[in-house]
Amino acid sequence: MSSELVLQKVDKIYGAGTVHAVKDLSFTVKPGEITALLGSSGCGKTSTLRMIAGFETVTNGSIALDGRAIHELAPAQRGVAMAFETYSLYPPLTLAENISFALKAQKLGSADVDKRVKAMAEMLEIGDVLHKYPSSVSGGQQQRASLGRALVRKAGLYLLDEPMGQLEPQLRAVLRGRIKHYLREHHCTTILVTHDQTEANALADRIAVMEGGVLQQYATPAELKARPANLFVGTFIGEPPMNVFPVRVKDNGQTIDFVLEGSDGQVLSYAAQDFPDAVRRRLKNDDGLVLGVRPHAVHIGKKGLMARVVTCQWLGDQTHIAAEIAGRTVVSVSHEQIKAAPGSSLFLRIAPQDLHIYAADSGAAIAHGAELA
Amino acid sequence: MPHLELASISKSFKSNKVLDDISLAADAGEIVVIFGPSGTGKTVLLRLIAGVEEPTAGTISIDDQDMADVAPEHRDVGMAFQNFALFPHFDAFENIATPLRARAQSAAQIKEGVARVAKLLKIDHVLGHAPRQLSNGQKQRTALARALVSSPKLLLLDDPLRNVDAKLRFEMRLELPRLLREAKSTVLYVTQDYKEAMALADRIAVLAHGKFVQVATPEEIYRHPATVNVGRLFGDPTINLVETVVGEGATIDLVGETAAIDKAYAGLKGRSVTFGVRPEAVELGDGAGLKARVMAVTPLNERTVLLLQTKGGAELLASLPSSSSAIPKAESEVTISFNPIGTHLFDRETGAALAKGRA
Amino acid sequence: MDHTSTLERVIRGALITCVLVFFLFPIFWIVLMSFQTNETILRIPPSIVFEPTLSNYSALITGKLETTAGNLDIAFMRNLWNSFFLSAASVLIALALGIPAAYAFARFRFRLGEDIAFTLLSFRFAPPLLVLLPLSLYFKQLGLTNTYIGLIWVYQLICLPLILWIVRGYFEDISPDIEHAYRISGNSWLKTFWKIAVPLAKPGIAAAGLLAFIFAWNNFVFALILASADKQPVTVGALAFVTASGIQYGQIAAAIVLSIAPTLALALYAQRYLVEGLSLGAVKG
Repeated sequence: MSSELVLQKVDKIYGAGTVHAVKDLSFTVKPGEITALLGSSGCGKTSTLRMIAGFETVTNGSIALDGRAIHELAPAQRGVAMAFETYSLYPPLTLAENISFALKAQKLGSADVDKRVKAMAEMLEIGDVLHKYPSSVSGGQQQRASLGRALVRKAGLYLLDEPMGQLEPQLRAVLRGRIKHYLREHHCTTILVTHDQTEANALADRIAVMEGGVLQQYATPAELKARPANLFVGTFIGEPPMNVFPVRVKDNGQTIDFVLEGSDGQVLSYAAQDFPDAVRRRLKNDDGLVLGVRPHAVHIGKKGLMARVVTCQWLGDQTHIAAEIAGRTVVSVSHEQIKAAPGSSLFLRIAPQDLHIYAADSGAAIAHGAELA
Repeated sequence: MPHLELASISKSFKSNKVLDDISLAADAGEIVVIFGPSGTGKTVLLRLIAGVEEPTAGTISIDDQDMADVAPEHRDVGMAFQNFALFPHFDAFENIATPLRARAQSAAQIKEGVARVAKLLKIDHVLGHAPRQLSNGQKQRTALARALVSSPKLLLLDDPLRNVDAKLRFEMRLELPRLLREAKSTVLYVTQDYKEAMALADRIAVLAHGKFVQVATPEEIYRHPATVNVGRLFGDPTINLVETVVGEGATIDLVGETAAIDKAYAGLKGRSVTFGVRPEAVELGDGAGLKARVMAVTPLNERTVLLLQTKGGAELLASLPSSSSAIPKAESEVTISFNPIGTHLFDRETGAALAKGRA
Repeated sequence: MDHTSTLERVIRGALITCVLVFFLFPIFWIVLMSFQTNETILRIPPSIVFEPTLSNYSALITGKLETTAGNLDIAFMRNLWNSFFLSAASVLIALALGIPAAYAFARFRFRLGEDIAFTLLSFRFAPPLLVLLPLSLYFKQLGLTNTYIGLIWVYQLICLPLILWIVRGYFEDISPDIEHAYRISGNSWLKTFWKIAVPLAKPGIAAAGLLAFIFAWNNFVFALILASADKQPVTVGALAFVTASGIQYGQIAAAIVLSIAPTLALALYAQRYLVEGLSLGAVKG
């Protein structure tokens, strides 16, 4: 019951060629896989979703579900189920009727329908408000009902548009787990559209990062973190965001030094053998680079770069420390509870394999730690 | 002598009692975060202190002086609003200069004062812009600058980071403590983001149903929540809660299975409780003990959250560092135990935390 | 979906043209008429080719109306001045009274507040004729008949409710936080009213003032009953053109052009404020 979705060279141009919302977009979602379309508003993710659902024409290219071209079909003939960002529940129906409405076409016995609606409601924690009308429940409950209406149906493809944006924070983690488990168990091919990278990371098998209508990178969450293809993806993914330092590189054969721009010669220095030859060959002397380091990879130790503590904030399960090096703030995150007084000095250590090296001009990745990008 | 003192403050709108007999004292230079879900009267409390609303009962004193008959313009407070509340017909400079102008300073003093805070908040390049030309982040910084510029003795910040995006909010959260330290003001900071509260506060006052349920340091509140609700409001993922009964020798019944908990609770046998365990205190092993199946693995930033289900059907969330080598796969089986730090029992009726005895 | 067909665009254009012709053609025709003599106006078939004449305007300005039956003295310029003076003075007084009142109704909840506001509004929907008879009796008693003061007083029935209700809405749209911010910065409530509330409601005040001016300008029945020739506005004065020897179309047209010119100019000028009012979305943000 799960299908493969293939987008090939899809373009979306609005108006008379004035707004190029989606540019040459190709990706494949394997059967049973969960893919997140992630990006800030205006990145083209919603246009893409609307083209797949059939609410928007495709300017160029093709969309196929299980080998069948669907981009010319009416929405109802595509065999997709969708949960809308604005819920779109039918106001005169109760939540239970809204959810069971989706099962009408499947010609099930009423006992069977009741059972499925109930199970879905329990999973989404709306069992106790099923008899209520959309207008008399909270936004979070409406959103969960809308999600339930989409998931309860059998469909080749599930489209979820910002499905958890309004959820109560206390429920979010449990529902993420349950929904992910449900999608896995039922082998649902799913497209999830979100601007929230936390949600994309939690739910998706693969994430398509979009910006300016262009697909920046399509990879697993782990790969996006470890090997972001360009500076945009690097800084967009990850919370707290990646530290970035503009540097100039000096390779004197013994050591490779990254001189921090704008500082009076502060240097991140590594032994030359920390980097394989392939990487060293790409780092020409005096090249302008941007170094990216994830806050979790900035370790506090006995030696390294000396920095002055600006703030030290413990959040219960992690400590965030902001420290200043040459007027630039570096953020370090640790899973332990650390106490550091503002104004005091400490040493920051960054392992060579945790460096992301980008070209300063294009922002393209040159190397991730010891490996070429 | 506390700088700000609230004594038995109540506030009602018609028959709706928003604040119910609350008291609080803040020392000079202290940062007190008023924390609570939306609609709990946090903003109302700040308005009472600023003087733009009047309390139904109770007194507000600043430096031991009763504020009842002191007009807002004479209280020497600075305030930043959730919706920024910039004056749309003034440019950024004039917005920030307003408190200085009201204090009849000379043009040179005003220019210098505005330049100083603008530089501190990195908005010196947009001082000539009208509010509608500013980005959300710049608006928020302008509003903060206006609150800070006259170095008021008391700063009231009403969820100032609410309307800016996640990246900016994170940046400002790191930057704010330094700004507030330099201002040397007593700060009341309202937020509904527990991370902001923990990051900024010397003390957190948790407001629920018009009352303070706990006023304590972030560490105290996170480690020893006074009620089950306080426990629920702090932490991401939320603390696991199971209604149960304490059994023989510091155990609880976890949907049909017996689970060992913190030995310090040994004296509570037979008590109806809500068992709470923080996700980071749910520890995984593979030996003997309580078994659970991993239903889903959901990464959360640099941590990984696991949805676990015991044989009896109890659901628990566990959270461990993503760098940890022992992250199990979905559908695998694990053994779980509960770290005493992060394990709590609450009375099932009242929700109050039950004291840990000596083990 | 997001395409408009050519046909649709043509139909849309045609419909807009119809509407424009319907509303603008009479004005256009009146302007043409005002430069013609009665003879050229009344010829059959009508034509837009004619020799323009300023005689209608000069007649109005000099006050000498030439008809086939002889010369007639009219006080059109006097009427025009009356219209202007009565309307402007009424609006100014209504603004002075109405803006503070509107602010009070918008910001403070007081006993009977809503009732008072509604009573003031109800003056607008009471038929004027209902109050005119008793009013004319009172005015005789008080010696207010045929005085500017008396007329301006009565015109408050038109201006004050309009200003009060429109401006109140604008005040209510200003976030109280903006005013709170200004007060907390160290300013008195009076200064907050002048420096924050009034400037931010300026588009509303301009719109309300303009509307009130137009309504006052167009008023006919109050002035007809309560004023005699030397205090009458143009609306009443225009009756003079219906003479024993016929209707002076050319002069009526010129009179109409002159009498709509001030309100038209005012509307064009205030349009800027109205547009600004719409784009000043930051007030609420």
